[in-house]
Amino acid sequence: MPARKTIKSICEEFSKIVADPVRQIKRLKPGRTVRIIGWLPTDVPEELIHAAGALPIGIVALNAPAVASSAPHLQGWSCSLIRCALGMALNGSLDLLNGLIIPLTCDTTRMVTGIWKHVKPFVFMDNYLLPRQIDRPSAKRYLIGEMGRLKARLEQFMDRTITASDLYASILLYNQNRSMMRKLFVMHNRRPDILGNRDVYNIIKASMLMPKELHTSMVAELLRLLEEKAGENKSDYTVRLILSGKVWEPPVMMDVLDQAGMVSVGDDFCTGYRYIANDVPETGEPLTSLAERQFKRLPIAAFAGKSGDRINSLINMVKENRADGILFVHLKFCENENFDYPMLRDGLSSAGVPNFRVETEVGTRVGELFPQIMSFAKALSKGEGL
Amino acid sequence: MAESPSFKTDILLKRLMTQYFEQGYAAREKGIPVAWVTAAFPVEIIYAAGLFPYYPENFGARVATKKAVARLSAAAEARGYFSGLCSYARCAIGDVYSNEHPIGGILKPDLLFCSNAQCCSLQKWFESASRYYQVPVFLLDTPLIENTPTTWIKQYLVEQLYELLDFLEVYTGNSFDFDRLAEVISLSNEACRLWNEILDMSALKPAPFGFFDACFRLTPIVAWRGTKEAIYYYRELKNELEERLEKKIYVVPDEQYKLYFDHIPVWPRLRWFSNLFAEKKALVVASQYTRSWVWRFDLDRPLESLVKNYTEGFINRGFEYRVQQIADMMEDFNVDGFVLFSNRSCKPSALGLYDEYRILSRRTGLPGVIFEADMSDERYFCEEDIKGRLDEFFNQLS
Repeated sequence: MPARKTIKSICEEFSKIVADPVRQIKRLKPGRTVRIIGWLPTDVPEELIHAAGALPIGIVALNAPAVASSAPHLQGWSCSLIRCALGMALNGSLDLLNGLIIPLTCDTTRMVTGIWKHVKPFVFMDNYLLPRQIDRPSAKRYLIGEMGRLKARLEQFMDRTITASDLYASILLYNQNRSMMRKLFVMHNRRPDILGNRDVYNIIKASMLMPKELHTSMVAELLRLLEEKAGENKSDYTVRLILSGKVWEPPVMMDVLDQAGMVSVGDDFCTGYRYIANDVPETGEPLTSLAERQFKRLPIAAFAGKSGDRINSLINMVKENRADGILFVHLKFCENENFDYPMLRDGLSSAGVPNFRVETEVGTRVGELFPQIMSFAKALSKGEGL
Repeated sequence: MAESPSFKTDILLKRLMTQYFEQGYAAREKGIPVAWVTAAFPVEIIYAAGLFPYYPENFGARVATKKAVARLSAAAEARGYFSGLCSYARCAIGDVYSNEHPIGGILKPDLLFCSNAQCCSLQKWFESASRYYQVPVFLLDTPLIENTPTTWIKQYLVEQLYELLDFLEVYTGNSFDFDRLAEVISLSNEACRLWNEILDMSALKPAPFGFFDACFRLTPIVAWRGTKEAIYYYRELKNELEERLEKKIYVVPDEQYKLYFDHIPVWPRLRWFSNLFAEKKALVVASQYTRSWVWRFDLDRPLESLVKNYTEGFINRGFEYRVQQIADMMEDFNVDGFVLFSNRSCKPSALGLYDEYRILSRRTGLPGVIFEADMSDERYFCEEDIKGRLDEFFNQLS
């Protein structure tokens, strides 16, 4: 008889999946004919991959030592996220993938596809070309066309037609998962003492690494257990934070926040709350609905336009979540984030929002982050800005 | 080493440059809006709309040739822009925060036009400029073309040009003048034709003109195509080159080796490289960089033709296409070796070079070398290391 599940045991299960995604992929693969298509962050329409009958897997759980494997192909002054992902492919960690989709969101993703195709090709590889202006009507029409192109390529690779009802079913499945995760995030905001930062962000990341059906059922069970316990204690987390950046790397930063008594009540990470923040409309033509979601996602540095006004988005997140400040977590060598940062910093400071920036890489050690984050926590606890 | 006599037409170039910058400063007084544009933006539309186009990338390159990047970059870095960002952008941003203006202040824009065909950094730089100067920005979003451009991409680009015309009509209050556009495009065609013929002269052996000479004389094709001045200057330059041929004046009189160079030069070290290569009896004769402006527009389909030329070029292409184009150019110019510059400021031209080096070596069987530096920022220029690598390369050549 299986042991009774607890909050701790479910969180540990998610933690294991995130800690060893290769093992997770291997568990899915043996004896099964499922095809796995990987994707790099961010904004790849996973619903399309799922509707094609393949399993989408995000290359988001990184193995830091793999960065070194990419050195013969990528300069050391390029983003460690991409160097690590390519390194993992080169050292065989991603051999179980049948395909890979790389979205063009910056100059590094723009260039890595060609290198990747040359040094470690998958049977199916696609450079997904998102529009980077999002205000004008041409962007939506183009995106629907680009999704149509990706759909046709997936159909060819999977040797099946993606019908509107297939896609609709996938949209419902993904919406259900996002909706469940938002409930979980609310629970985390209320009770970070029983569902800490590391736990909830692990669970978001795990949802990119496993079948959505399984993930949703695990989250549902966790929610049930959390609701039973939610009335017991009062949280001793004293600081409410909004996090901003591309991804939450290194993962140990979430442990530091937990230790510092800081709860993340929202973020615009591609691997964080932004991933679950909004759903695909469940009416209308499915590709159009997917495009509509894309344009309503939380603004990030990759996309230009008034509707992507990031400073107002961050200020609103602070107000809506009654946050005490913003912590920028920027990957070293990420031009997109760094071009935005000085004006975001000044704009937030003018609006009275305390903010602080840490620069990280895949593999940054806890010792480098701890003193910086603790000093910000201390300043916020005293009601000071930095 | 005996240097070849300086170009007579450099005096003309200097005069035209002064005139261009004076026009820029006078533009606003005359009520002509100053439009910042990127090097691969269809500037013909901007000229036809009656705006004054100004190239902040050119500003960055000029700061670099004056060896003043570190000073301006320090002002940008003090504001939180990190030193790994494009050094052209750091120069332009630093200039507005600095009390020093080594080449005169950057011309303040009234509006901004950016294409991301070259890179995403330009998009981010122009967004920052839009926020700083509180002026509108129009982004011509250019999806990467890996192999054959798809119908969707072409339609998207043409549709954006119509959106650009709407944007301009609203801004200027005037209907867009397609007749004027045809005139401007004709002028661009002629400047591009002359530039192409000039670049082709480097195929002669010995040659009267090479890559580094072209880099010194790039401003007219980048900034003035679409004007009579560009044509006037390149006609005069071509005449002078033909005269030099008659008089047997060559860049490297005892030229032995022809080389390919990829991509942008190290601006503050143009002379250093030029002299070093000449010492080794080598002339750089081909580069994708200087050929980026070799365009030919179709007057019967102006917007479609602008899209084709500005978005299907080398810089907006995928890895395999680029490698093959380089290999083809190396063959066309019958080069003896190749030099690849891993430029910290330009990821689209630098990322992939390590593999390109291996593929080009295999496909062509020719010696090659890669060196690391920054196109403008000399803080990343390690002379000893680069000289060592180049010496080793020249030993292989001989």
